[in-house]
Amino acid sequence: MASRRRMLLKVIILGDSGVGKTSLMNQYVNRKFSNQYKATIGADFLTKEVQFEDRLFTLQIWDTAGQERFQSLGVAFYRGADCCVLVYDVNVKKSFDNLNNWREEFLIQASPSDPENFPFVVLGNKVDVDGGNSRVVSEKKARAWCASKGNIPYFETSAKEGFNVDAAFECIAKNALKNEPEEEVYLPDTIDVGSGQQQRSSSGCEC
Amino acid sequence: MASDSSYASPSSDEEEESAGQKPTVDVNINSIDTSLDAIENQLSSIALNAPIDDGTVSSTDYHEEPVSEIDDGSLRESVSERRRNSIGESSSSRGSGLWRNNLEVGVELEPEGDGSPSSPSSSGYAGERGSSSSAASASDTDVIREIRENGSSMGDDGVVPLDPAQAQWIRGKRHADEDDGSISWRKRKKHFFILSHSGKPIYSRYGDEHKLAGFSATLQAIISFVENGGDRVKLVRAGKHQVVFLVKGPIYLVCISCTEEPYESLRGQLELLYGQMILILTRSVDKCFEKNPKFDMTPLLGGTDAVFSSLIHSFSRNPATFLHAYTCLPLAYTTRQAAGAILQDVADTGVLFAILMCKDKVVSLVGLQKASLHPDDMLLLANFVMSSESFRTSESFSPICLPRYNPMAFLYAYVHYLDVDTYLTLLTTSSQAFFHLKECRIQIEAVLKKSNVLNEVERSLSDGGMRIEDLPVDPSANFGSLFHLNQRKIATNGTVTGVGGPAGLWHFIYRSIYLDQYVSSEFASPINHPHQQKRLYRAYQRLYASMHDKGVGPHKTQFRRDDNYVLLCWVTQDFELYAAFDPLADKGVAIRICNRVCQWVKDVENEIFLLGATPFSW
Repeated sequence: MASRRRMLLKVIILGDSGVGKTSLMNQYVNRKFSNQYKATIGADFLTKEVQFEDRLFTLQIWDTAGQERFQSLGVAFYRGADCCVLVYDVNVKKSFDNLNNWREEFLIQASPSDPENFPFVVLGNKVDVDGGNSRVVSEKKARAWCASKGNIPYFETSAKEGFNVDAAFECIAKNALKNEPEEEVYLPDTIDVGSGQQQRSSSGCEC
Repeated sequence: MASDSSYASPSSDEEEESAGQKPTVDVNINSIDTSLDAIENQLSSIALNAPIDDGTVSSTDYHEEPVSEIDDGSLRESVSERRRNSIGESSSSRGSGLWRNNLEVGVELEPEGDGSPSSPSSSGYAGERGSSSSAASASDTDVIREIRENGSSMGDDGVVPLDPAQAQWIRGKRHADEDDGSISWRKRKKHFFILSHSGKPIYSRYGDEHKLAGFSATLQAIISFVENGGDRVKLVRAGKHQVVFLVKGPIYLVCISCTEEPYESLRGQLELLYGQMILILTRSVDKCFEKNPKFDMTPLLGGTDAVFSSLIHSFSRNPATFLHAYTCLPLAYTTRQAAGAILQDVADTGVLFAILMCKDKVVSLVGLQKASLHPDDMLLLANFVMSSESFRTSESFSPICLPRYNPMAFLYAYVHYLDVDTYLTLLTTSSQAFFHLKECRIQIEAVLKKSNVLNEVERSLSDGGMRIEDLPVDPSANFGSLFHLNQRKIATNGTVTGVGGPAGLWHFIYRSIYLDQYVSSEFASPINHPHQQKRLYRAYQRLYASMHDKGVGPHKTQFRRDDNYVLLCWVTQDFELYAAFDPLADKGVAIRICNRVCQWVKDVENEIFLLGATPFSW
């Protein structure tokens, strides 16, 4: 028997449209890459099993659409996330500037219990493009921003070449796990017949 | 509000001929005759002259019949009155040609009903459908398309084939290797899912929950998206498939089915599934989700797969799941009294409920003071006990919650099997009561053995209860007891296999409204195979749903003829009767037989029902 149960981690991927969220996920889950851009509608859901420190995890990856018209889906999608991955395109300055908005929007909508320590991971994607010559956001700048937001782990990735993708997701799993709260003892009340519990339940006013 | 009216009534009007659909009928009591006699009346006229036009059933001249101001008490009177007329009419014109025509009426009407559900416009859910697919991505549309393909490629016989390993559910989850990518998984006729409001899977009937994490996320996305718009998704139709949603706070339940069961039935099954979860955990899980939306409750449910699987299994095999009533093991009145007396003795020492059951049938049941047990709670408790192997091997003491009694808090259940099928459950509010309850059980067991109750229980289980071939057809006969009948049966042929009842009666279920109990006849030829039994239960289920449809009901009577059966349902203030006959059965005779069944049930009620138990005041 496995000594510890399997865990399921809900991972949300956010970022401007076209930064390569779906490609990163495809590279990670299916080891595939396509140059064809295909906009995500709403969200895509993928599952990946990973083993980490002798434990088996299932990553439930929510690949969301970057377009603004899908922003209203936030509350519905973000609830109960274990980790949030922020992705930008190192060749597009705007996508980096928007990281702040994505992060804040997520914290507002998901309202995690401890926003200060909620696990984020930032990925600077498309480092392969044009041999790095079209790059406009420096690694230094990105790292500085991550440091200012509570030391968010940072990875430079290329979904196309599969560069750093596994390392990034391993960190994502690790971080999601770190945030797992101590399980409390599950101890519901016991019925107390003397104090009129029956009355209450039989009159049906608990609904 | 908008949401409440936004799903299409799945029962539509199919082939049913029910009273509520004929608004011109002003006297309810009259309805059975109106619809039934209309057919025969029309048929007799056909036999005499013209061919039937299109199967439309006209009410002809029965409104003018002076059947006015009849109250429930005299229903039987009026029914038999009309029956005599109708028998006269039909027998005068009966012939093989007539019967063929009659069958055609049933057959022709069917395609109308079949056609409408498959058309997407019948969903009435256009708004939500559109929006949920936009919310839910390529993978989601994928899934719906796949299901639709499946839907069109199978199930046209309308019969659900038996699962190859029929009893395998008891060992736990089936087909754990499957996921939403497997062809076999997609072809399953009925899926059940429980997930959390963050989209984390909690239970899936088929397949591994973790492998289905993506599918689970899709379901949550659909539900949450509609919820976000201030609405609620209840039903989505996709070809032959229905996707039924039930939201219970942070717990989402979903059924995906192509079994053609009505929406109300599937929703009722989801309610029971939720109730089963509450029985194991109480609704305190809600608090865990409030504190931590990421909360994963699967560890709390560890090892309970078999409990859920067995409940789902019973949805098409145990009428209690849709009748919301329990059934008793038939026993001589004095035997049940003896069992009740000893249970009452222990109840007086502070036991909240003492329940003696044999499989899913009640032997006796006693509650402290006014405490009363809801039939659904009994169903869920019995399922929990019977599907958990460990109860069989030793006496057990376990926290459980009765969702209809108090969903927020635990009780403690002492469970002990007295023999292979018979078990005693003692419920208490004290977590310290194990040793007291153990003593109670020893005492009860001794009395039951001494007074021969356990032997009687065993014998009743093997002899069975009401057999349709024993139905006294002579109205003046009063058999008084089931038991000498059964003995005679065994003595004469040495077998207890039924051969079918009089006038083509195949089966019946009688539900007493005051007692919250039902009794059903033993299965007999030709409903021998579990497969046929399941199909009959499904037919009853549809009947139940249509009789209790809040939109057009409540109905008093319904007569329905299709390729498989004649189904007759009769609802009064006191009881509901569901009866199945040979599809060629004569309507007037069938009504008379139903009257006989009711009389028979009354004659033997102190053997088939638990009388004088605490009144159930729900």
